[in-house]
Amino acid sequence: MHTAPPPVALQTRAVPSREEVTSRVQKGVNSVQETWSSWPRTSLPDGSGRGLNGWETAAEQFRVRIRWAAVPRDDRLVTETTVILVLVIVTALGFDFTNGFHDTANAMATSIATRALRPKVAVLLSGVLNLVGAFLSVEVALTVTNAVVKIQNSNGTPKQELLGNGGFDLLLIVLAGLVGGIVWNLLTWLLGLPSSSSHALFGGLVGATIAGLGWSGVNWNGDGDGLDGLVGKVLLPAVMSPVIAGIVAATGTWLIYRVTVGVAQRFTDNGFRWGQIGSASLVSLAHGTNDAQKTMGVITLALIAAGDWTDTGNIPFWVKASCALAIALGTYLGGWRIIRTVGKGLVEIAPPQGMAAESGSAAVILVSSHLGFALSTTHVATGSILGTGVGKRGALVRWAVAGRMVLAWLTTLPAAAVVGAVMWWLAHVIGGLAGALVVFVVLVLLAGYMYLRSRRQPVDHTNVNEDWAGLARR
Amino acid sequence: MHNLGFALEEAWQVLIASLLLGAGLPTLFALGVRSLAYGAGAVGDRPARPLGTVIGWLCFAVVLLGVALGITYIVASGLGKTLSFEHIFPTIADK
Repeated sequence: MHTAPPPVALQTRAVPSREEVTSRVQKGVNSVQETWSSWPRTSLPDGSGRGLNGWETAAEQFRVRIRWAAVPRDDRLVTETTVILVLVIVTALGFDFTNGFHDTANAMATSIATRALRPKVAVLLSGVLNLVGAFLSVEVALTVTNAVVKIQNSNGTPKQELLGNGGFDLLLIVLAGLVGGIVWNLLTWLLGLPSSSSHALFGGLVGATIAGLGWSGVNWNGDGDGLDGLVGKVLLPAVMSPVIAGIVAATGTWLIYRVTVGVAQRFTDNGFRWGQIGSASLVSLAHGTNDAQKTMGVITLALIAAGDWTDTGNIPFWVKASCALAIALGTYLGGWRIIRTVGKGLVEIAPPQGMAAESGSAAVILVSSHLGFALSTTHVATGSILGTGVGKRGALVRWAVAGRMVLAWLTTLPAAAVVGAVMWWLAHVIGGLAGALVVFVVLVLLAGYMYLRSRRQPVDHTNVNEDWAGLARR
Repeated sequence: MHNLGFALEEAWQVLIASLLLGAGLPTLFALGVRSLAYGAGAVGDRPARPLGTVIGWLCFAVVLLGVALGITYIVASGLGKTLSFEHIFPTIADK
């Protein structure tokens, strides 16, 4: 008689019960083969709150669990660590997806607004280039979180003190941080504001770390050897990038208009159309390599913490492939609300301005990352567009929209931090796996609510280019 | 505030290099567009000048070299390398 195994969702205990182990020992599948160090998937029998689950003493439980470790992995119970690991991976891919559609505007808003490309073609091109860019990331740094928080060693491995609970502590911080990033990304998308996805991610991580480890868990200022820490890697670049990009784009715009005075429009329009498409493609490609890497690093960190990956020099191929697909799909979906603000709301853009803006963005992004002073793509792209408005005499710049956008920039990091901290605290109060699951459910509910809210005044490829005054305020 | 010092130093370099590439190349592109128009006799009421067409395409060629440099940098950094300008001509080097 074949009996079906119990549903996976029910098998979430950290410690197998006495009956289960006894039956396996009798079947002869157990022997002591793995050592203590290769037993990272579940919590250790140190009385870490999981109970004895039918065992007489912790020592007895430990002895049997050593044998249990030799059971083929597929046969083992799905442990708490595995479940939270899956939650972290799903959430990280979700963040990657929001990262994609939040940032489509950076590359493509100008080409869409000047009708150099049809909206659907623009997002398809950007999506494909993001996919290619993400796959180009052969060498992925695992130290992505080190710029802002202290949960990893300098070689990318998780801090030992966060692994005591089968990696649960570290995974919970990462989960709460990711949720903070996604929630803020979705809210700013709903409001049509181009905020930085990296700020949202770093903000969420900082908040979750402060809640979990205290203020000292944050890498505020680095150690003085160079640009480092929250201030050096995130805050200062954020302030400087729009200024630099604005100056570059304004200069470019001014020069282009000087050079092409008196040239027939059929020459300028067609020429700058191609210039715009080329420079926007460069921005998309650079975005794919930069931003998808962050999620790849976070997922691999989670895998190491859970004991499912040990190589700090490489990342699993499926991680790279799934991150690349998530960011490309997000980009293709297109954050039309943000594209509209960036393309139509800030400045009325003509093709020469579009080209000046995207070339300025591409140059600033690539040069700054080459010099080790990586700037936020979003801040650079929007700064460039404002710059082209300033650089063309008589161009209309809507400073009220720009003001709203700057406000979103200022609030992104602290707001995502608050969400991340609240999520960590919520999970902590509830405790264990249930806490992590509740946080995940809260994320799904909030995301669903914001999606439904966005349907009241939908913006998509059909109305993204309507007159700004026409759709009024959202 | 050591970070502010480092950042200002870097920002200055980024600004100069970006102005050169991000404003210089588009201007060259605009010159190319103007030369093409000139070559076809579309600036003012002048007759067609083939020289303008040649200069125009030369400008575009330089711009394309700049774009190729950008793509090379993206690919190289994906492979864990970087571009070195030590010999003036850019070469791919280990980070």
